[in-house]
Amino acid sequence: MANQEFDPFRAWQDLVQKWEIEINEWSGKMTENDQFSAMMGQATKMNLVAQKAWAERMETMLATLNMPTKSQVEDITERLDRIEDNIERMRLAMEQSGKPQARPEPSRTRKAPKKPK
Amino acid sequence: MSDTPPTIPSQDEVSDRVRKEVQRAYQRRIKGLDFLLAERVHVGAMEKEVVYRDGTAMLYRYLPVEDEIYRVPLMIVTPPSNKGYIFDLASGQSFVEFMLQRGYDVYILDWNSPRKDEASLDIADYVDDFIAGSIAKICEITGEEEVTLGGYCMGGVLALIYTALNSPGPVKNFVSFATPVDFTHMHLFQAWANRDHFDVDELVEELGLIPPELMLGAFDLARPANRTAGQINLWTNMWSEDFVKSYRMFDRWAAETLPVPGAYFRTQIKELMWKNALPAGELQIGGRTVDLGSITAPVLNIVAMHDHIVSHEATQPLMTQTGSSDRKEIVSKGGHVSLVAGPAALRRVWPLIDDWLAERST
Repeated sequence: MANQEFDPFRAWQDLVQKWEIEINEWSGKMTENDQFSAMMGQATKMNLVAQKAWAERMETMLATLNMPTKSQVEDITERLDRIEDNIERMRLAMEQSGKPQARPEPSRTRKAPKKPK
Repeated sequence: MSDTPPTIPSQDEVSDRVRKEVQRAYQRRIKGLDFLLAERVHVGAMEKEVVYRDGTAMLYRYLPVEDEIYRVPLMIVTPPSNKGYIFDLASGQSFVEFMLQRGYDVYILDWNSPRKDEASLDIADYVDDFIAGSIAKICEITGEEEVTLGGYCMGGVLALIYTALNSPGPVKNFVSFATPVDFTHMHLFQAWANRDHFDVDELVEELGLIPPELMLGAFDLARPANRTAGQINLWTNMWSEDFVKSYRMFDRWAAETLPVPGAYFRTQIKELMWKNALPAGELQIGGRTVDLGSITAPVLNIVAMHDHIVSHEATQPLMTQTGSSDRKEIVSKGGHVSLVAGPAALRRVWPLIDDWLAERST
C-alpha cells in the first residue's frame, strides 16, 4: 500500500463511524434476550397509558381555556382531507370525460438495447 | 499487502491543510445558521400527476420524457408507513428520473396519512382495492394488459401478496426492493413485538391508527447511534452544499413517517411476524391462501448488504419459494434506504435493474 498522509478530517470521520458501529452492535446484543422484549412490552404499555392520561388532561384544560383541542383540530383536518379527496375525484372524473389529451402519448415500441457479445 | 506508517507531511502541506480546515470551520458556522433558519427542503425532480385516488391511496404517473417507451409500464408500491417521494428526491439521485430517462412509463403508488375512519383498513384492502385499482387504472391509461409490479419494504410485501393471489395475471415482472418475506429473520422487530409481551390488540383498540413514533422508536432501537452519528456527520460536512441538501431531504423523508391503520398493523404483527405465515403458505387474504409458488412471473430481488431492517435472509423465499423459473438477485453495498435513493444507487444498482427489466418490458 502506498504511503498514507495523516488526515485529521478522515481520522475524525473514521472515529465517528467506529463509535457508531460499536454502539449499534452493543444494542443488537442487548435486544436479543427475552428480558429486553419484556421491558419493551412494558414500556409500550406505560407509554400508551401515560399518553392517554395526558391527552385527557390537555383536552379538559384547553376546553376550560376555550381553545380548540387536538381532537377538534384532527376532526377539522379530516373534514378538509375529505373535501380535498372529493375535489381530486371530481378533477379526475372531469379529465376523463371528453377532454382532449393535452400531451401526445409516446409510442410503446422501445426495444431493449442489444448487449455486447 | 502491508500497511506502512503515515508519512510526516511537510510544513507547506500542514499549513495548506490548516487553511482549508479554517475555511471549512468558517463555512460550517455560516451554513449552520442557514440550516437552522432554512424552510422545508423541496423534494421531487420529475413532473407527475395524480391518476387515481382512493382514500389513503394515491397513484402518481410520472410524465414520460422519452418519445419511445417500453410497452410494459412500471408500478412501484411504497410502504404504507412512508412517503413515496423517496423514489424521486432530487435530480441526480432519483430512481424515477433514471427510469424515465431509460424509457420506462413509471407509476408510484403512494400513501396519504390514513384518516381515523380508515383505521379498519387491512392488508386485504391494500391488496384487493388499492393495488388492484391502481393496476386497473394503469391498464386503462396505457391500453396494456400487463405491468411490472415492484415494491419497497412493506410495499414489496403487499405487491408480492397481490402477485401471488393474481397469478397468472397482469403482473409481467416482479421487482422487489428490500422486501421482508421470512419474518423470523427480522430480529429486532421480533424482539420489539415479542408475542409474550407485546399486546397488539390493546394497542390497536386504544389507538385505532398506529402513530409513527411507535415504529420510529423501534428503528432507533435497531441503531441507537445513528441519529447522533448523523448529527456529527452533518456538522462535519456542513461546509458542503450537496451533503447538507441530501441530509435535509433524507431527514424530511424520515420525519414524515406516516401512521398506519390498526387492522393492517395487527395483521402484520400476528400473521407475518408471529406466525411467519407468508413463507409457510398459511397467509389468508380475503379468504384466499397466499401461495408464493403460484408466482410464475420473472422475479428480481434487490437487497442491500448492510440493511439493518430487512436482512438478506429475510428476502430469500423470493429466490427459493416462488414458482418462477426466471429469478435474479442483486446484492448491493449500502443500507435499507440507499437502494432506492442517492447517487450511490444511481451508479451501482439502478443500471442493473434497467439491464434486467429492459428485455422483459417489450
